[in-house]
Amino acid sequence: MTAKRTASFCLAALAALAVLPAAAAAQTPPAPVAGAPGLRYEIWVELDPAAKMLLGREEIVWTNPTRDAVPDMLLHLYWNAFKNEASAFMREAAAEAGDRAAVDPQDDGWGWIDVTDIRLADGSDLKPAFAYVNPDGPETAGDQTVARVLFPTPVRPGESVRLRIEFKAKAPRTVARSGYYKDSFFLGQWYPKPGVYEEGKGWNCHAYHRSSEFFADFADFVVHITVPKGYVVGSSGKAGESRADDSARTTTTTYRQAMVHDFAWMADPRYLKIERDFIADREVTASEYRETADLLGLPVEEVRLPDVKMTLLIAPEHKGQIERHFRALRAAIKYYGLWYGPYPYETVTMVDPPYRTGSGGMEYPTLFTAGTRVLANRDVLDPEGVIVHEFGHGYWYGLAANNEFEAAWLDEGFNTYSTGRVMARAYGPGAIPLVFKGIPLSSVLRVPKIFDFETSRVAAIHAVRTDPVTAWSWEFFDSMSYSMNVYMRAATLLGTLENLLGDPLWSRIMRTYHMRFRFRHPTKADFVAVVNEISGRDMTWFFDELLEGTQAFDYGVESLASVEVPARLRGVFDKDGAREVWTDEKIEVVEDAAAKSPGSGPPARSYRTTVALKRYGEARLGGDAKVEVVVRFADGSAETRTWDGRDRWTRLEFVKPVKAVSAQIDPRGVWLIDENLANNSRSTDGLRRNVVKLMTRFLFGVQCVLQFFGSWS
Amino acid sequence: MGIFKAISGGLGTTFRKPRLVVILYVVNLAFALAAAAPFLAIVQKELGHSLAGLSVQPVDPMWIGEAVLGYGRAFPALLAGFVVLGLLYLVLHVFLNGGIVGRLLDREAPASLAAFSADCGRLFWRYVRLFLLSLVFYALTLGVVLKLVSVLFRPISDGAVTEWTPLILSNIHLLIALLLLSVVHMIVDYARIAVVADEERRVLKALRHALTFLKARFFRAWALYLLLVLGTLAGAAVFYAVLKPLGAPGVGLVVAGFFWMQIYVVFRIWTRTLFIAAQAEFYRSHPY
Ligand SMILES: [Zn+2]
Repeated sequence: MTAKRTASFCLAALAALAVLPAAAAAQTPPAPVAGAPGLRYEIWVELDPAAKMLLGREEIVWTNPTRDAVPDMLLHLYWNAFKNEASAFMREAAAEAGDRAAVDPQDDGWGWIDVTDIRLADGSDLKPAFAYVNPDGPETAGDQTVARVLFPTPVRPGESVRLRIEFKAKAPRTVARSGYYKDSFFLGQWYPKPGVYEEGKGWNCHAYHRSSEFFADFADFVVHITVPKGYVVGSSGKAGESRADDSARTTTTTYRQAMVHDFAWMADPRYLKIERDFIADREVTASEYRETADLLGLPVEEVRLPDVKMTLLIAPEHKGQIERHFRALRAAIKYYGLWYGPYPYETVTMVDPPYRTGSGGMEYPTLFTAGTRVLANRDVLDPEGVIVHEFGHGYWYGLAANNEFEAAWLDEGFNTYSTGRVMARAYGPGAIPLVFKGIPLSSVLRVPKIFDFETSRVAAIHAVRTDPVTAWSWEFFDSMSYSMNVYMRAATLLGTLENLLGDPLWSRIMRTYHMRFRFRHPTKADFVAVVNEISGRDMTWFFDELLEGTQAFDYGVESLASVEVPARLRGVFDKDGAREVWTDEKIEVVEDAAAKSPGSGPPARSYRTTVALKRYGEARLGGDAKVEVVVRFADGSAETRTWDGRDRWTRLEFVKPVKAVSAQIDPRGVWLIDENLANNSRSTDGLRRNVVKLMTRFLFGVQCVLQFFGSWS
Repeated sequence: MGIFKAISGGLGTTFRKPRLVVILYVVNLAFALAAAAPFLAIVQKELGHSLAGLSVQPVDPMWIGEAVLGYGRAFPALLAGFVVLGLLYLVLHVFLNGGIVGRLLDREAPASLAAFSADCGRLFWRYVRLFLLSLVFYALTLGVVLKLVSVLFRPISDGAVTEWTPLILSNIHLLIALLLLSVVHMIVDYARIAVVADEERRVLKALRHALTFLKARFFRAWALYLLLVLGTLAGAAVFYAVLKPLGAPGVGLVVAGFFWMQIYVVFRIWTRTLFIAAQAEFYRSHPY
């Protein structure tokens, strides 16, 4: 996203603040998928399973969309990440593990890609002007995942350049996302791919890091894939004409897809290929369309979903799970479609990753990989969760195509959050996976069932102090911090924002953001602008404090006490020019007399309840946000107050005829990101049934452990 | 003597001496309370006065997440305390084993406290040596034999075409490990018995007695051992089946659940004495 565009959105946001406090989802009509953007690929590739090689020829047509004269092009050669131990990927993996064997391409299975020839369409040879570069600085010296090619003359604004590239690529053996095992192949990031040219800034083309994904421009792809006869192929895009070459014993199929920014495929001789249709009218009822339209403030016609051709490629040993796969995919197509916008492509291909190719749980445009086990538990929502998640990336990454190197939370965080919503709606909570020696134990041991947002919250509170959510992917402390912040903490923050803004605002924000940035590269600023625009509130503080910050968020109830307010105060008082002394004895005598006088009952009592609230964490509320406090009293009444939470503490006082029984901060659980929910409330009565149960179970656990060890002594 | 007769003899002996189980249970409970105390204190401090205490579950990932965050730094100290108590328990258990085996083998005499403690003291050092020796045995079994099995399995597992192959192999590996452990455990049990039954002061010699005894009737002895294991597992299954409905909300059910769990601990302790008593019956019925 250019600076110019960001500024225009800020202006739009300001205008909206003035006139449109609670807008309907601002729908931008979906861009037609047929439209060719400034990039086109045609690739001819042949798989040689014995040599684990791809032989490819590629034609790239790039049109300069900017006002810059562009002298060169930067190309990703991702498979060189697996070429040797000098690559950024390998070095970062080894450094984090403290062990060079952390990533070990077994069987000497190094992967690499060589550009053997590169020329312009007129035949002029660019190979002499082709060299590896290190755009991420000297730390990545030796890395060969980015190459630069210098054009004979700069490409002027609006001009196109046509490149003809020949390449040879050796598949890696099970490292990350791509690989082979025996005669199974999963092939992602397999061809030379230009970075994204940003006006005034040049090519955005980072090295392939251990903790980073990808970034590319929308393009039209035509890919001719040649494999040995009998191989089952799954691919991005829509399969077109196919022809067999009997002498070479190969089959070549052409796949086409417009407006996608990547292209992946798989090939395996054993695989089952099953096709089904997502028929929108069968999946979504009229009332669901109406509810969605009302929620989003859009006409029903705009929320209608199209039909989609679903293809599943699955290993024969997972045949029994075919229906589980399709059910999850149908739920994902339905809910992502209803909430964020209709799925714009004709096809989606779901790949059960080939065994030991290390390619599970990964997204590519119109194709994704899931992953399951031969013994899969019904109560554990796996592979469902991964299917929903990876399909969801078709929206967050595939369509709203943020830079995954620099702002991974914009797809992983949004998508983890969205996955949780779909899973909760379609399935409810899932059992925590517990597998021992490949045997699922979750049902047998009755492990608890939890929602995704709960898992995310636990990770989020542990990750908050390590890194901001918005760090660049390879600049996180380690890959654990990367995933816990980018996926789970970001998802928890989006969940918090949802609770805070509520529906219909929240749904309209998400819809507007998605539809406005479909087929574009949104940034954090774009999302913040949409939040502010649609909510009519300035929520910038939320992102600054909670996304960029690394401070813990923790509000709680420090103390709760109710003391009787004395009917009379003791001491010496001035009254009508005289002095009056009130002692305990005198007060008692007067109260007794009053109680005995005819017509009066016992003296009315009143209690002063004091609730001390504290901000235990460093993170603070901002803007117009407040945290709610509810105090409940012995007579069943309740009082609700709010606190802006800026100071370290505040004290609330209530005078009532009864004592308080409890005080609770954030009773509706808005602040998911709060790291200690136990301190959010205090009640005056002690030991609780569930606490005792927890204690007895723990004691029993310890007794059993001791008894077990004792029996070996 | 048949193995069923050995079991019924063992049952008779253990029923005649319930005091042994009581002693072991009291020690178990005391140590468990001491080891669990810091954790119970944390639970009470965090949840005792919080409304979260109303909904917390025995295994509550959300609360566990919070507790790990809040007390993570204290965790090594808590763990160290736990390990120290565990080691003390182990030593004490070796000591008590003397009394248990001594009294169980003295079939007709009552398990008086005086006789029990006398046996504990008399057999302590022998049982310490036997325990140390058993550690060597376990290490050999787990370390060497299982490593060998792993090496044997690796090429098959590495060449697998589907997940089934490594899954099956690793479960076979586990089964072999469990069977080997049961054999070593049984041998050590017979050595413990031989120390008392044969009045053997040298544990190596007692071990030789046990091995000679087992050599002649290994499979019958092993069947006896595995039958006892099966009985223990059946007891555990009953325990969990009954515990499930006791997990429902209700104060009475929490109390009932607590007592049911304690009954199970007593059952486990009793089965341990039954192992010794039944195997002792079997051992003494085959003089060599
Ligand atoms: Zn993801």
